[in-house]
Amino acid sequence: MFILHFLPDFIIHLVFFVGVLATIAGFVLGFIPLIKSYQLPIQIIGILLLSFGLFIEGGLANEAAWQLKVKEVEAKLAEKEAESQQENVKIVEKLVTKTEFVKGKTQEVIKYLDKEVVKDNEVIKYVEMCPAIPQIILKSVNDAATISHEATK
Amino acid sequence: MKYLIILSALFLASCSTPVPLTAKFPEVPETLLKGCPKQLETIEGDNVTIVDFVKTVVRNYGTYHECASKNDSWIEWYQIQKKLWDESE
Repeated sequence: MFILHFLPDFIIHLVFFVGVLATIAGFVLGFIPLIKSYQLPIQIIGILLLSFGLFIEGGLANEAAWQLKVKEVEAKLAEKEAESQQENVKIVEKLVTKTEFVKGKTQEVIKYLDKEVVKDNEVIKYVEMCPAIPQIILKSVNDAATISHEATK
Repeated sequence: MKYLIILSALFLASCSTPVPLTAKFPEVPETLLKGCPKQLETIEGDNVTIVDFVKTVVRNYGTYHECASKNDSWIEWYQIQKKLWDESE
C-alpha cells in the first residue's frame, strides 16, 4: 500500500486507536452530557476512523508479513549463493587436478615412447623399413584433426 | 470532495508495492569459460616417422581428455547449480 511507505506506523495505530475510542464514545458513552450533544458527529467520525484504521492496520500487518517472507527468502538465497560458490571451488579444484593428471600422463606416454623407441629392436627395424609415413595417411589424420575447425567456417 | 476521493484511492492503492527480490544467476568459474582448442594438432613434413606420428596422436588424445574433463565439469556445475536453485525456491 502506497500510503504505508511514508506514513509512520504510530500514526496508523493512532488513527485506529482514536477510531475505537470515538466509536465507543459515540455508541456507549451517550449518557454523558458533553458526548450526548455531539453524539451523531462522534459516531460518524468514529465509524469512519475505525474503518480506515482497520483497513490500514490490515495493510500494515500484510506488509510486515511480506517483509518477513522477503527477509527469509533473502537469507535462503544468500545461503544458497555461498553454497554455490563453495561448489564452484570444488569443481574447479577437481578440474585442475584432472587436467594436471591428463597433462602428466600424456608427457609420461611420450617419454615412454622416446625411451623405448631407441632400444626396442622391433621398433628400430620398423623405422628402418618405413622411414616416413605416406602422405596420404598424414592427410587423412590431418583432415580428421581439423574437422571441427572446418565446421565453424 | 471528488479530488479527495481520487487522492485517497491513490494513497491506498496496493499495486505499487515492488517486490524487492531478484534472484541472481549463479556465477560460472572462469576456468570453465575457456573453450577447447579449435582444432587438434596436425602433422606436417615429408619425412614424418612413425614415432612423430604416434607422438602427435598421443598429444591429441591428451587434448581430448582435457576437453572431456571440462565438459564433465560443465555437466556437474549445471546439475549442482540446478539442485541449489530448486532448493531455494
